[in-house]
Amino acid sequence: MNEKNQRAVFKYFKKKKISKFVGVPDSTLKHFIDECINNKDVIIATREEEAIGIATGITLSNKSSLVFMQNAGFANSISTITSLVQLYQIPLIFLIGWRGYLSDDAPEHLKIGKIQPELLKIIGLKSKVLTDTNWKTNCDWALKQIKEKKSCALIIRRMFHD
Amino acid sequence: MIRKEAVKIISEKIGENPIVSANGFTSRDVFEVNDKESNFYMIGSMGLASSIGLGIAITKPKKRIFVFDGDGNILMNLGSLVTIGSTKPKNLVHVVFDNNSHESTGSQPTNSSNVSLEKIAKEAHYKVFVAESQSNLITILKKIKKESGPIFLLVKISNSKERSKRVSWKPKTIRDRVMKSL
Repeated sequence: MNEKNQRAVFKYFKKKKISKFVGVPDSTLKHFIDECINNKDVIIATREEEAIGIATGITLSNKSSLVFMQNAGFANSISTITSLVQLYQIPLIFLIGWRGYLSDDAPEHLKIGKIQPELLKIIGLKSKVLTDTNWKTNCDWALKQIKEKKSCALIIRRMFHD
Repeated sequence: MIRKEAVKIISEKIGENPIVSANGFTSRDVFEVNDKESNFYMIGSMGLASSIGLGIAITKPKKRIFVFDGDGNILMNLGSLVTIGSTKPKNLVHVVFDNNSHESTGSQPTNSSNVSLEKIAKEAHYKVFVAESQSNLITILKKIKKESGPIFLLVKISNSKERSKRVSWKPKTIRDRVMKSL
C-alpha cells in the first residue's frame, strides 16, 4: 500500500473516532505509523501483547483503539487474542503488516507469512486485505465490526524488498 | 501477611476505585474479598494486568486505577514498567504482591528474590513503596493517597494453603460491568 493511502487510512480512522493507536512498529506499515506519531496519537509498546493489553484498557474505558503490528508479532499474540480479546469479546481493530507475503521475502518471515491467512482463520479472527483501491470500504467494514462489539483484522501486504 | 489479607486491606482503603487484577489466585482473592462492578478480573493472558490498567488510566484521567499484579505476572511483562514509566499516568497505582513464587501453579520459584523489582520500578520513574507487614501497608496506603503516580507498591507476602473460590462472572459480564462503571 502506498504512502499516500497509508496516511489516509490513519486520517480516516482518526476522523471516525479511533482515539489511540497502540502497537509495535513494522516497516510495511511505516507511513501509517509515521502519521500516528506526527499526530501524537500513538503508544509504542515493547511487545505486541502489551499493546493489546493497553488497547483493551482503552476499549474498556469506552473509547475505540487500534493495534498495529507485524505478522511476526501477531503470531506472538495468539494466546492473548484468544484468552483476552476473544474471551471477553473486546472490540479491537488489528492492523497487521504481512511479511512473507512474497515468497522471496527475508527467510525469517517465510513460515509465518505462508500460514498467515490460515492462522487468522483457525483462531476465528475475521480479516480483510487493505489495498490502494479498497481501503476505505474495508476500513468501514472494520469500524462496523467494532461497533457490533467484534474484533477484526486489516492486513497490509509487503509487496517490496529493501 | 498472606495475599488475601493484603488484598482485603487495600480493597477496603481504595473504595470504589477500579481494580485490574492479574490472573490466577490474585483475581480469585479480589473476587472473594471485594467483588464490585469496576473490577476487571483477568482469567488468562498472564502478564497484562498492568497494560490494561495503563490503557484505562490514560483514558480515564480523573479516576484512580489500581493494578493488582504478582511477581510472576510482572516478570512476564517487564517492558510494561518502561511503557508506564514513559507514559507517566498520575492516576495509576501498580501493586505487586511478591511471594517470590508462582503460587497459582504450585509455588514454583520466580527470580524476584534475586533481582530487585523495586529498583527496576524506581529506574522506570515510578514512586516506589515497599510494605512488609499489615501495619506498614496501612501506613503506606494513607501516605500514597495524596501522591501522584505512577506509584509502585511492592507488598511482600507469604504463601498460604487458603484458596479463594474461582471468579464466577462470565468474561463478557466482567467486560460489561467494567464498561458500565467507567
